Amino acid sequence: MELLSQTIICGILLGGMYALIAIGMTLIMGVMNIVNLAHGALVMVGMYVTYVCAQEFGVDPYLGMFVAMLVLFFLGCLIQKFMINRLVEVESILPENQVLLTVGIMLVLTEGIRLIFKSDYRSVVTSYSSDTLYFSGMAISVPMLTGFFIAMLFTFLLHLFLTRTDLGKSIRATAQDRDAAVYMGINASKITMITFGLGAALAAAGGSLLLPLFYLWPDIGHLFTAKSFIITILGGLGSTGGAIVGGLILGIAESLGATYISMGYKDVVGLVIFLLVLLFLPGGVRSLVKRWQA
Amino acid sequence: MLKVKNLNAAYKDLQVLWDVAFEVKQGELVVLLGANGAGKTTTLNAISGLVASRTGTIEFLGQDIINLPGHKIAQMGITHVPEGRRLFPEMSVRENLEIGSLMPEAKAKRQETIKKVYELFPILAEKRNQDAGKLSGGQQQMLAIGRGLMALPKLLIMDEPSLGLAPVLVSQIFDIVKEINKQGVTVLLVEQNVVRTLGMCDRAYVLDNGRMTISGTGSELLNDEHIKEAYLGI
Ligand SMILES: Nc1ncnc2c1ncn2[C@@H]1O[C@H](COP(=O)(O)OP(=O)(O)OP(=O)(O)O)[C@@H](O)[C@H]1O
Ligand SMILES: [Mg+2]
Repeated sequence: MELLSQTIICGILLGGMYALIAIGMTLIMGVMNIVNLAHGALVMVGMYVTYVCAQEFGVDPYLGMFVAMLVLFFLGCLIQKFMINRLVEVESILPENQVLLTVGIMLVLTEGIRLIFKSDYRSVVTSYSSDTLYFSGMAISVPMLTGFFIAMLFTFLLHLFLTRTDLGKSIRATAQDRDAAVYMGINASKITMITFGLGAALAAAGGSLLLPLFYLWPDIGHLFTAKSFIITILGGLGSTGGAIVGGLILGIAESLGATYISMGYKDVVGLVIFLLVLLFLPGGVRSLVKRWQA
Repeated sequence: MLKVKNLNAAYKDLQVLWDVAFEVKQGELVVLLGANGAGKTTTLNAISGLVASRTGTIEFLGQDIINLPGHKIAQMGITHVPEGRRLFPEMSVRENLEIGSLMPEAKAKRQETIKKVYELFPILAEKRNQDAGKLSGGQQQMLAIGRGLMALPKLLIMDEPSLGLAPVLVSQIFDIVKEINKQGVTVLLVEQNVVRTLGMCDRAYVLDNGRMTISGTGSELLNDEHIKEAYLGI
């Protein structure tokens, strides 16, 4: 019984951090209408920034995270403005091909990082890396718990930003009706760029929170692209609340798979769920909620 | 206030407007008439900067705005209440109104203007926390107009605000358009409801297959033989 509850709690904690990454992807998908397959690579670059801060300058990963967010915000803005936007502005290029461009960006980022850091596995060790809380027979890792709460805090702050500020509302407006946003005097191109930067910053935040828990190497990005994609589909495309639910489901499923099947099958479990959802619930959890309300 | 000359507009290879010219003076209510597909919406979108391919001159308050991007044009004081309402469906009524007042002056008076809009459309106050997408057609149109007013427009462009509404509501919407104009907002209105709009406007233009064919005051056009034949079926 303790094992089961510990497994589920672990899954929830992990899922909260995944959700933050997926929310970044959801935001970008909202304003650009494309799946950003470079999203995991952005997570990976963010993790390297935090890693370098820790390794070279002795900055605690939870502080380094802010550096990574800032760097990735600007990197995201630049990628959107000078690469993706070029294609968006040409009407004859189909969205499918814009997605291909994000694959190219993913490759460039991955290989660029490999050039600098080689393919070696790296990890950040802190004084609290292996700290564990014992709680009625369960052992909970402190970095996981911390990561989860920071992820939830960011999600909450993002929610406030999107609902309470004019900039946040402009992002939502642009996602819901781009032309109508222009009628309101919103500079939709600028908003799109900022949103991409914001999505990249959230990716960096999620990655940095996971840094104490994962080995880091250039190809880890693919893992996160797959996870974010699964989560966004699970949650129903384009909804922040859905991304949280999707993240938690994925986290729990992975955690259960790792405990009861095998550590090695952890990622396979996610993919199986993904396929099941695509087959039987293509609208994700969100469509379930809608069906239930109706 | 608004002077359009030699306006040509096209979607890809399809030219839709041919040397369109017309004028809206300060304080006027000007109506643009025309059959389905004549190019009315295209004309309005060309003014608002949403038709990518456009040439000619569009002078607003003495400045040529033909090459400005859409958001800059809106920021200059041209507010567009678009065809089909184009609300933000997953934002509340209140948020839709707030997003209509992003420019500094409008933002400074946001609460005050919201109050006025609620007075004009009490139903919106009642539904302020509901998602715009869940409103009825009439309520959505009121919200679209209200959202337009939030910008404190110098020129209010309205594209078929009566489209798809029940006759009672149509009448109410027209009364409100007239009232808005009386309060000093210059209005450029596109409508299919010829008799009603010619009766209330200062001047009107008729667009036919992308070309301006007839223009004059409302009563002149009401007595025009061609109009009678083509639009009033007399
Ligand atoms: N986005 C577009 N792409 C291509 N062609 C378009 C587009 N929008 C309009 N058209 C074409 O341009 C012409 C003029 O359309 P427009 O919408 O301006 O007419 P309208 O006078 O507003 O008609 P309605 O009364 O039906 O609203 C039509 O032939 C239409 O098919
Ligand atoms: Mg039209």
